[in-house]
Amino acid sequence: MITTPPPPEVSGHSPFAVRVKLSDRLGERGLKVLTGLAALVTAALIVWIAYTVFDRASPAIGKFGLAFIGHKVWNPVVGHFGAASFLYGTAVSSALALLVATPLAVAISIYLTELAPNFLRIPMGILVELLAAIPSVILGLWGILVFGPILGNHIEPFLKSFLGWLPLFSGSPSSYGMLNAALILTIMILPIITSVTREVLQRTPTASKEAALALGATRWEMIRMVVLPTARPGIVGAVLLGFGRGIGEAVAVSMVIGNQPQIKASFFQPMATMAGQIADEFSSANPGTWQSSLIYLAAILLIFSALANIAARLVVRHTTVK
Amino acid sequence: MKRQFLVGLLLSAVAAVGVSACGSSSSGTTSGGSSGGSVANLSGAGSTLVSPLVSQWVTPYQQKNHVVITYGAVGSGTGIQSITSRIVSFGASDAPLTSSQATACKSCLEIPWALAATDVAYNVKGVSSGLHFTGPVLADIWMGKITSWNDPQIQKLNPGVKLPDTKIVPVHRTDGSGDTYAFTSYLSKVSPQFSSSVGVATSVNWPGGIGGKGNSGVGGVLQSTNGAIAYIAIAYVLDNKFDYALVQNAAGKFPTPSVKSIAAAAASVTSPPTTGTSGISLVDPPASEPNAYPISTFTYVLVPTSNKSGVGPALKKFIGWAITDGQKYGPDLDFAPLPSAVVSADQQVLQKIK
Repeated sequence: MITTPPPPEVSGHSPFAVRVKLSDRLGERGLKVLTGLAALVTAALIVWIAYTVFDRASPAIGKFGLAFIGHKVWNPVVGHFGAASFLYGTAVSSALALLVATPLAVAISIYLTELAPNFLRIPMGILVELLAAIPSVILGLWGILVFGPILGNHIEPFLKSFLGWLPLFSGSPSSYGMLNAALILTIMILPIITSVTREVLQRTPTASKEAALALGATRWEMIRMVVLPTARPGIVGAVLLGFGRGIGEAVAVSMVIGNQPQIKASFFQPMATMAGQIADEFSSANPGTWQSSLIYLAAILLIFSALANIAARLVVRHTTVK
Repeated sequence: MKRQFLVGLLLSAVAAVGVSACGSSSSGTTSGGSSGGSVANLSGAGSTLVSPLVSQWVTPYQQKNHVVITYGAVGSGTGIQSITSRIVSFGASDAPLTSSQATACKSCLEIPWALAATDVAYNVKGVSSGLHFTGPVLADIWMGKITSWNDPQIQKLNPGVKLPDTKIVPVHRTDGSGDTYAFTSYLSKVSPQFSSSVGVATSVNWPGGIGGKGNSGVGGVLQSTNGAIAYIAIAYVLDNKFDYALVQNAAGKFPTPSVKSIAAAAASVTSPPTTGTSGISLVDPPASEPNAYPISTFTYVLVPTSNKSGVGPALKKFIGWAITDGQKYGPDLDFAPLPSAVVSADQQVLQKIK
């Protein structure tokens, strides 16, 4: 028989109405204040940084206006500056990286959540996430010393021989260029897309999966009909996060992309990205229009990065709150 | 648990106070040691080109004079900005100040304090070091007009050398650099078309080719690209034993880049300005100096005319030392000594510092 304990005797002082010590009261108040301050400082920092960027960019914004975004030339000597070639370089390198990384990430996640033997899941998962631990400058060095020559001497000529009729693979192969940068970026964004996708795949309701299998579906059919459609919004969120990471990458990309602000169709050609250009030129940019134009580039980058991150969070939250 | 936490907090607070006390006492000795009116700290920022030489200067100078000199190789542009806002005592720039920069800096003096040179290096399978080039041919290469190594214009300058039909890949610096300034000055002087289409600056809009960051970035592109040709600081070319070009000077000769040929170029400067408000161009020296190396450049220290109490004399002393005794540290780093005409002009300009 279950007995409930007798109710506490109600007298002048119940066991719970003990006088709260002053130190505890102050401590609670203090905790609230301190942690509140920490949160406030973080929020204030974001506002401060955004304000500084837009404030310092305002001379260039005032001078060039929105035409800056469409202008192709970046010429410090005559003072003509335009973001178009960097927008193109950033967009193409990130898009290409996503194109390669997303199927790879989904494949790895499917393997690790559905198909791998149990003892393998954790170690392989750790290895994939360790890819994120490689400092960006080391990836850049590897890109220059190892990957670039392989790309320029073997992979690109191979692509050219089969697909050289496409403008995307025209021109002469080079160790430095858009393809090298895009593939290095792939390595950098793979871990984040994989880890978010894995989480999302793990949340697929087991009941739906078992139902599909019970109805006679093969493993692949179950993944295709139940797991992936449920996970699709989450994968979109992961892709957006990877995109946000990719567009901001300055060090590794600027080491291998060739740094030539131009808009060309071929992936073998050198190009330039916004983050890479800012990192390269800022220390030597003379104060005035040049420096302000670089900060204008930074402002554009900040907007895109913020949008990508916000969109990613909204999409991922939408799927998990279900 | 709470007590342990409190004790830990107290100990770390004591440690922090102790460390800061030690730190302040050590800086206290340097500032307290000199006689009244002399200054303890000179801070500088700017050019990366001159930074190895400044590092060589700091230790011997600090030992003999009670002053602490710090220099940040942050790039000429940031250096100019830093001295304009007076957050450092002196700036360093590879290019002379433009008129708007000079106005913004409010009576800053620019004093040439080191002499460096830029060379052209290349990496072509089957071709060894020492190819002959002229200025106009180099300009055409970087403008994308000459595209392969066996172009008749290059072959004409190098009869008897078997040149492959490899594509030329011109390499440039992406970060602002004194080497870019020297090289574009030279190309603009020898090629009017280069001057109008690209121009002179520490960072220009190159018509094509690949960019690398810093001498090491450019060196990396050079080494891994067959057919690449690049302009790099002489010290870097010689240290890394790259194949380098011999560029024809105004006298028709092809001098080997060395401290001697750079000094010969500097000897062509006979009456340098003493105003302290203009730079000295040294590229493509006249034929009167037959062994002059054509792509040399002065690099400048930027000093305000009026300074806080005590800083002016300290700056005068340091720069005065750098342009005389300090020059002996140059040749090991492939900086040529300043010619005497420039040193005397500099000493006159130094008198203007208060």
